[in-house]
Amino acid sequence: MRRILVLGTALAFSLAAAQPLQGNPNLRGEITVWSWDIAAKALEANIPGFNRLFPNVKVTVLDLGNQAVYDRGLAGCAAGGGDLPDVYSVENNEAEVFWARFPNCFTDLNTLQPAASTLRSLFPAFKWTELTVGNRIYAIPWDSGPVVMFYRRDIYSQAGVNPNTIRTWDDFIAAGRRIGAATNNRVKVGVIANGQDDEWFRMLANQNGCFYFNNEGTAVTVNQPGCVTALETVKRLIDAGIVLQGGWNEQIQAIKAGTVATSMFGAWYEGTIRSNAPEQSGRWGVYPMPASRPGGVRAANLGGSALAIPASSRNKEAAWAFVRYALATTEGQITMLRQYGLVPSLLAATRDPYVQQPQPYWGNQRIWQVVLGTLGSVPAARGTQFFQEARAIMVKVQADYVAGRFPNAKAALDAAAQQISQATGLPIAR
Amino acid sequence: MKPGATPYLFLLPYLVIFALFWAWPILDSLLLSFQNTRVYPPVWDPGVNWGRILRDAAFWDALRNTLLILVIQVPLMLALATMLALALNSQLLRARGFFRFAFFAPVVVGAVAYSAVFRLLFNPNGAVNAALGLEFNWLFDPVGAMVVIIVALTWRWTGYNAIIILAGLQNIPKELYEAAEIDGASPWQQFWRITLPSLRPVLLFCLVLSIIGTLQLFTEPWLITNGGPGTATTTLGVYLYRQGFQNINFGYASAIAYVITLLALVFSLIQLRMFGREP
Repeated sequence: MRRILVLGTALAFSLAAAQPLQGNPNLRGEITVWSWDIAAKALEANIPGFNRLFPNVKVTVLDLGNQAVYDRGLAGCAAGGGDLPDVYSVENNEAEVFWARFPNCFTDLNTLQPAASTLRSLFPAFKWTELTVGNRIYAIPWDSGPVVMFYRRDIYSQAGVNPNTIRTWDDFIAAGRRIGAATNNRVKVGVIANGQDDEWFRMLANQNGCFYFNNEGTAVTVNQPGCVTALETVKRLIDAGIVLQGGWNEQIQAIKAGTVATSMFGAWYEGTIRSNAPEQSGRWGVYPMPASRPGGVRAANLGGSALAIPASSRNKEAAWAFVRYALATTEGQITMLRQYGLVPSLLAATRDPYVQQPQPYWGNQRIWQVVLGTLGSVPAARGTQFFQEARAIMVKVQADYVAGRFPNAKAALDAAAQQISQATGLPIAR
Repeated sequence: MKPGATPYLFLLPYLVIFALFWAWPILDSLLLSFQNTRVYPPVWDPGVNWGRILRDAAFWDALRNTLLILVIQVPLMLALATMLALALNSQLLRARGFFRFAFFAPVVVGAVAYSAVFRLLFNPNGAVNAALGLEFNWLFDPVGAMVVIIVALTWRWTGYNAIIILAGLQNIPKELYEAAEIDGASPWQQFWRITLPSLRPVLLFCLVLSIIGTLQLFTEPWLITNGGPGTATTTLGVYLYRQGFQNINFGYASAIAYVITLLALVFSLIQLRMFGREP
């Protein structure tokens, strides 16, 4: 996900409107879609609407889990395109490895009717950069992941913490201590997957304008000042004893059990909380992520995906119709936002009246305004084809740094930069 | 046709399949290990993978973890398996058939199912912490995660080895024990002087299989800890998979595969040297 900052202006000035999709009862066949978690459920929610236009296309959505979709997709491409679905979900961060290593594994969507280039103006330009190579368009932008803090209103107020006063990470740590004190240390204010993932580091680094690589994808930048601050903050949060350590499942368990009062994630996590804890309706709210210093950036991006059509699909026409219905119509995108909280990147959908509405689950807060309001400030970051290698190295370095195996964050990130450079062959930026 | 050709003719179907599905991939991966497979199409670059392996901290972590499991888990498991086999062989035990089945059963259980169960057991709110009265986050602690992997492996494979050792026990001639009884040897002496030496080839067999299995270890660390936290439970098998199928760097994955093969070869030779002689 890069250059979200463009979106703010694009939102304001774009005149592009989603085209209505022409139905076709003569289009027949069965298509399979691979996706994960709520993204899979969101695509599934689009099937009835799609079938009103294309009654004779049978869509099957398989929820394989995020990592498995990626792994099996790469394995399938490596095997020359075998065992792949008709519609494939890919995270923007991870997309480039496919186009770089397997340029023939996915359909150039410009070769289909209507050509994908006719959809270009419907999405902000930055969303296309990781999905296109030259004139080829390999995937259509889906959602984006502006980061926000999801918080438990009842627990915050019980501890006397007003979320509007949390402006910096120092404020957040102080709030975490108060919440811990008020709940006899039973409730924490976050779940960090230290040792299994580096999501918090990535969100904080992105907020500070730093990432593994520069935006051209030509150099390693992980040891630059913004990343150093980010890693220091992650350690401060853990050392303060105000966060749990756990992965995706542990976080959902903590939410269900009411032992975590805040979740920081890409806004697509809204649907995860809402569908996993429907009984907590009305008790949650949203506020922007804290900044690294007073007056600093309070926005970042995590995740954001796209849909592609493998070249091996036997039903490209039906797959293309489904992709266009789900992603390039306001109806499709708003269905996914409404039911599972996937933040559209389709410009017309971000202007839909639904976005302005108060949300009952979130204590009638107009959360989508808060979320979309951050988009204009998100600094650019690019995954490149080496995203997974860099991430694996960073996960280990973060865990070692948190465990005290480096004198300071700069030394840890220097080591990370060196390993990433060695693994990828890219130079470390000066 | 020469009469000497007949057996080869019969062997031909096997040889063709062997060449196609064994020999060719083995050769091809050797060639791949000398190529840069991160560009399209791959290019010949002998140093890119073999040079990297020497400097790659993550590779050395994986090697260290694998050897750690080898040194701790394999002897532990074989000692347990031997004790179990002796118990199963005892005339004093009732319902032996049931126990043999029960101890062998873990091998039959699907790896995904049992890994999920172990994740639940060692969850901070899981049964293990409840039983021990702890609040320890096993899977997010480097040592804790390794303990879980070793416990899981031992649970799964001890019974399997015990059954093999049991077969070995039943092949020891009864007369040896009878003669020892007459000579006044204690059960302890009988174990050390008769049972253990007679079991030597069977134990060697189990040892070689376990070592090769450990060098290829993938399922448990992948499904239970995903190699983490950090690289704490990343084995050579997991690292190979990550390089091959997550980073799609088949060249580097092939180089790692050849290191694993060489290690297996060296370990097997050492054991045959040290323990392979007839007593």
